[in-house]
Amino acid sequence: MENVATHHDWKVCFSELAPGLVLFARQWVHSVADAEDVVQEAFVRFWRRNHSIHNRALLYAAVRSAAFDLIRRDQRRARREAEAFENTERTTEPEFFHEDDSQRELAEALRRIPSEQREVLVMKIWNDLSFSEIGQALEISQNTAASRYRYGLAALKRTLQPQ
Amino acid sequence: MSDDFSEIERELKKLQPSAASVEFLSRLEQTMLRTHQLPSAGVVKRRAGLRLKWLSLGLGCAAAAALFCLARLEVQTANPTIAPIALVSAIPRLESPAPLVADSRFVPAGLTQVVYHTRDEGLVFPANSPQPMRRLRRQGRETLQWRNPSTGASIRVSYDAEQVELLPVSGQ
Repeated sequence: MENVATHHDWKVCFSELAPGLVLFARQWVHSVADAEDVVQEAFVRFWRRNHSIHNRALLYAAVRSAAFDLIRRDQRRARREAEAFENTERTTEPEFFHEDDSQRELAEALRRIPSEQREVLVMKIWNDLSFSEIGQALEISQNTAASRYRYGLAALKRTLQPQ
Repeated sequence: MSDDFSEIERELKKLQPSAASVEFLSRLEQTMLRTHQLPSAGVVKRRAGLRLKWLSLGLGCAAAAALFCLARLEVQTANPTIAPIALVSAIPRLESPAPLVADSRFVPAGLTQVVYHTRDEGLVFPANSPQPMRRLRRQGRETLQWRNPSTGASIRVSYDAEQVELLPVSGQ
């Protein structure tokens, strides 16, 4: 009966991480449906390989990899996504609940910062990953992850400061 | 992080990503359930492991072939030199079929029942029952195993199983 508990653990783990994972995946795909497909594929792949449920760096790396797989799978989509990725500051829209105008403004500002900085911010702020985990997931050093985070926050601050 | 950024961090943390839809969660659960029922579920062989296995298999075959050749050479060279000292007619030994039957006998060794999914299907009103019942449907996989005590060989059979249980509802 151990497997029952394990299966339940995976379900709980997924329901807790899903919003952050979908937000993370949306950096590479436009629609929520595509992002959900990516997360589902990555999660099932991760689970089937018997990885530790606590290895979040690997899980996020799997989501990233699944997003790139999805892009590669369809050439037409690949072109579209590649263009989107190049212009990601303009077009990628993380999904947030906006309570007021200041939050809407902040979400807008987040879209405008460079994608490599936004990627780290999304993993740190909304997924609670450590810099070490972010470094593992993105295959960069811990210091680089921390620097990108700082640059991202600085860029946001500059954007939001009154002219 | 530096204090300069603490305010912007706080503001960012107030932004909440959209919650995952119920359909999405149930879709994933169904996918995991389907995947779990596949024979290879949970066991994805890695390429490195496969390569090692092929390598060891090849080495094993080569070693076996070498041993076989050596054994043949030894037999061929040894036979002419051995002079028969005495001709002993051995007593014919009758092999009883009983040990063979015993060797091929498998005894039940275990039953494993793994429930992957339990669904509460709500209340039902069976015709032959005075009270409503709650119907629980359990899906899982059962594995039966037999073992040959003399050789240590085992046979395992797995199949999907579904169980429906009706529980009387009390306190109505």
